[in-house]
Amino acid sequence: MTDTVLIVDDEDSVRRTFEDWLRTAGLGVRVVAAADAEAALRAAEQTPIDLAVLDWNLGSGSDGLRLLEDLVLFHPDIVAILVTGFAHQATPLDALRMGVRDYLDKSTDLTREAFVGAVRKQLDRIRPAKRQRELNRSLAAFREAVEKVLPIVRTSAALNDPVPLPAAVKSLLRFAGRAAGAADGALVIRHLSADGTETALAYGAEGQPLPLADLPFSRSLAASVVSRQEPAVLNDVGPAASGVLDLHPFEQQRTSLLAAPLPVGGGTVAVLELFDKPAPGFTDDDKRVVAAAAEVGADLIRQAVAERQTHRLLFDAVEAALRASTGVQEAMGGAADPGGPPPDAVMARLREGLDADANAVVDADTALGLVEAVRGLAVRHGPAAVAHCTRVVNDLRQLLDGLTGIG
Amino acid sequence: MSGPTVFDELFALLTPDRLLKDPRATGEGVSVAVIDSGVERAVLEEKFRAAGRPINPIDGAVFRPNEPAPRPYDGHQSSPHGTTVADIILTMAPRVRLYSADIFGPAGTCEVETVIAALRHAIDVWKVKVVNLSLGVPEHKLQQLPRRQLLHRAIEEAYFRDVLVFAAAHNEHPFTRSYPAAFAPPLISVDKGLFDDPLRFAYRLREHVEFQAHGRGYLGPFAREPATSWATPHLAGIAARILSLKPDLKPFEIKTVLYWLFRAGANGRPVTA
Repeated sequence: MTDTVLIVDDEDSVRRTFEDWLRTAGLGVRVVAAADAEAALRAAEQTPIDLAVLDWNLGSGSDGLRLLEDLVLFHPDIVAILVTGFAHQATPLDALRMGVRDYLDKSTDLTREAFVGAVRKQLDRIRPAKRQRELNRSLAAFREAVEKVLPIVRTSAALNDPVPLPAAVKSLLRFAGRAAGAADGALVIRHLSADGTETALAYGAEGQPLPLADLPFSRSLAASVVSRQEPAVLNDVGPAASGVLDLHPFEQQRTSLLAAPLPVGGGTVAVLELFDKPAPGFTDDDKRVVAAAAEVGADLIRQAVAERQTHRLLFDAVEAALRASTGVQEAMGGAADPGGPPPDAVMARLREGLDADANAVVDADTALGLVEAVRGLAVRHGPAAVAHCTRVVNDLRQLLDGLTGIG
Repeated sequence: MSGPTVFDELFALLTPDRLLKDPRATGEGVSVAVIDSGVERAVLEEKFRAAGRPINPIDGAVFRPNEPAPRPYDGHQSSPHGTTVADIILTMAPRVRLYSADIFGPAGTCEVETVIAALRHAIDVWKVKVVNLSLGVPEHKLQQLPRRQLLHRAIEEAYFRDVLVFAAAHNEHPFTRSYPAAFAPPLISVDKGLFDDPLRFAYRLREHVEFQAHGRGYLGPFAREPATSWATPHLAGIAARILSLKPDLKPFEIKTVLYWLFRAGANGRPVTA
């Protein structure tokens, strides 16, 4: 960001000379000139000023030090060089406290070299601190923006999330189940993120989520199948597994089982489980069919899981940024305005991301409109209003389900 | 040539009954590392205690990718696979000193570097004589020649340290595919078969595979389904029994004894292949 130097001097010739020296010195600064205090304050109101070169005697009873007092109100970090013909008139301690960092004496031989040198010296001191302030300000602004947008991202993702993975699971299980003659099936997915957080999911033959028992992955059927790295059949579920294996509710009371690992990759493992083929149960041919289905299904699941992980990555990135900027936010002492809308740029970016999700149940604008409406409701009227809103939506769905015969 | 030679006399002496069913052939004094998915220690201790054959304490470590030092073993498995394997070895040779090297990665497979780290730890720290590898590195992880060479070198190091490595073989098994000739590899690759006695085995030389052992286990969800993963510890357990009679046998001697046992009429024909 270009630094701005304000020159204030009531003598036209001096002002023009200073301007000319600065513009030709290659300092890369923007120069604003003013003949009196009033013009200087007007300029300061419109433009951030980094360095002020102030004449001590501005005429009309005004002086540079008093002007600096007023300029500080606009720009607390401003520093100044005082130009005076009467150096002894200055009160050094007060001036230093107010931001005067150097003096130039017009009564002696004030050369271009001395003037430019003094300005350059102050700019060199200003620039690192200014960069830090700008970084802090941008971090605080970013934090404010993501705090506003995070609930919307979460809600929008939740709107779209249940659709793609269950749809993929349903297709896979339907194909594999028919090919192997299974009466039922399930897909178990376990994801281990980089920070060690473990997520487990299970879906039934219709793509519906299945309840999981609270058991460690290490004692699960899925872990056993994954470590074998090939399809496995269990036509006599006997006591041999006791002690080393626990079953989820949907795996219990089965007469036969065929399970195959899906090579999803990354920190994700998926296991296809088929159940209850009539006696004599699953065969080696079934294993070969399911092994082929697992290869195909892995691509399907990989894609669906990748979409979930994209959302997860977004959340992780946003939350990491929030954590990183916590200190800055505290230092700035500012707080986000929860009632204000998220910045346009952030919303546009989010809209792009949602539009890119080919499996979204609703388009991005609709999703964002809905969640923004709910968020606004929450901000103005609290959680009870949102709960009421949810009930209204559910009632409407039941009504429409009844009218259309879906359900 | 007429009359029996010394070899005929040797083969006549080397019978499975004399070696494998010797009361001293229990695995006593032999250390075995199970490089797999961990072992559920309490389950095995209880099983063998209840059967009146208490086992030696099981020790171990947990190896994970990108971690320079192993984590301590807490007595638990990362998946039931390793417990099934350990149970087979202890069934065959209940008095071995068993070490569990858990290399089960987050995606259910393991990295080459993790296998190598576990192998070196088993040799250098635990001083084992036998290593069982029923959990393989997927083929695609060995596509890079340097990684394949690293694994090859680690297996060779084991051989030159007098350590026997038993590896599960199947059509695409990376360990056996890594070697150019079946006689050359300093490990013993094991295929599955079904035998009427788990102490029986067969020598069936074909591409990358030499031995065939009983492929059914006894504990775990898929133990009854024939698998090379279960055949390998059967042969490792048989080797441990032999080693408890003569602990200083070299890897090539063990391989020879196994072959001679088969040749001497070990009735090692599988019920099914």
